[in-house]
Amino acid sequence: MQEIAPVAKQLSQEQVQQYADAANDHNPIHIDEAFAATTPFGGTIAHGMLVLASISEMMAASLGEVWLRGGKLKVRFKAPAKTSDALSTSAAALEDGRYAIECKNENGEVLISGTCAVPLHG
Amino acid sequence: MAVPARALLSDLPTGHEFPPSTFELTQDYVDEYLAATNDRNDIYKDTGLAPPLAVAARALGTLLDVIELPAGSLHTGQEVEMKAGVPVPSALELAGRLARRSMRAGLMIVVLEFHVSLMDQNAPALAGKTTLMMPQGGVG
Repeated sequence: MQEIAPVAKQLSQEQVQQYADAANDHNPIHIDEAFAATTPFGGTIAHGMLVLASISEMMAASLGEVWLRGGKLKVRFKAPAKTSDALSTSAAALEDGRYAIECKNENGEVLISGTCAVPLHG
Repeated sequence: MAVPARALLSDLPTGHEFPPSTFELTQDYVDEYLAATNDRNDIYKDTGLAPPLAVAARALGTLLDVIELPAGSLHTGQEVEMKAGVPVPSALELAGRLARRSMRAGLMIVVLEFHVSLMDQNAPALAGKTTLMMPQGGVG
């Protein structure tokens, strides 16, 4: 199986705002620091789909067009990413042809875990 | 033209089908998405195809035009399956439904299923499943 190169990303509140506008998701937990401070998270958190984008970016970089045409992913968001988190993603090949994927923050906390796959033929 | 009221997601029943809608996946949107995600892969320009999650995010954003998430809602799971590459630009059709809702520890778990099709080919492009956890009845 194709080896997947890891990806490292740095989040910021500005980037989260930019993503909120692009994705039309203005949930205050992501962009309203006063509101987010009253939640159990104590501050704003990144959109799950923004964090997940780092996984898709990693798969696209290593697998190319086959990921764009037939990629599959199935993930759980295990913990929220703070808007200042540094992300690192990784993928390990499984025996069944899928990849086990993870995204962690700078403290080693797993933010996302799950699997990715591409068609075996074509 | 009157803007239709958005339905609170936690008030909708299992099986609720959202009205089919269409949207354009434009180069401007994809550029904005790639800037927001800081994704510098050349593969999108080289192939003329959209990042899979740009399509999924746009589909979810379109659903958010007609549904309101209670404040404090959290995205807890996501599935995406590309059925075909999505050229940029494309006209896409979106169908979605509330596939499941349940309660756990005082929180509501809702699963949304959605399907995106390429209008000019009348062909499926993407299937997605989004799991959300939200406070019951909380409105932000």
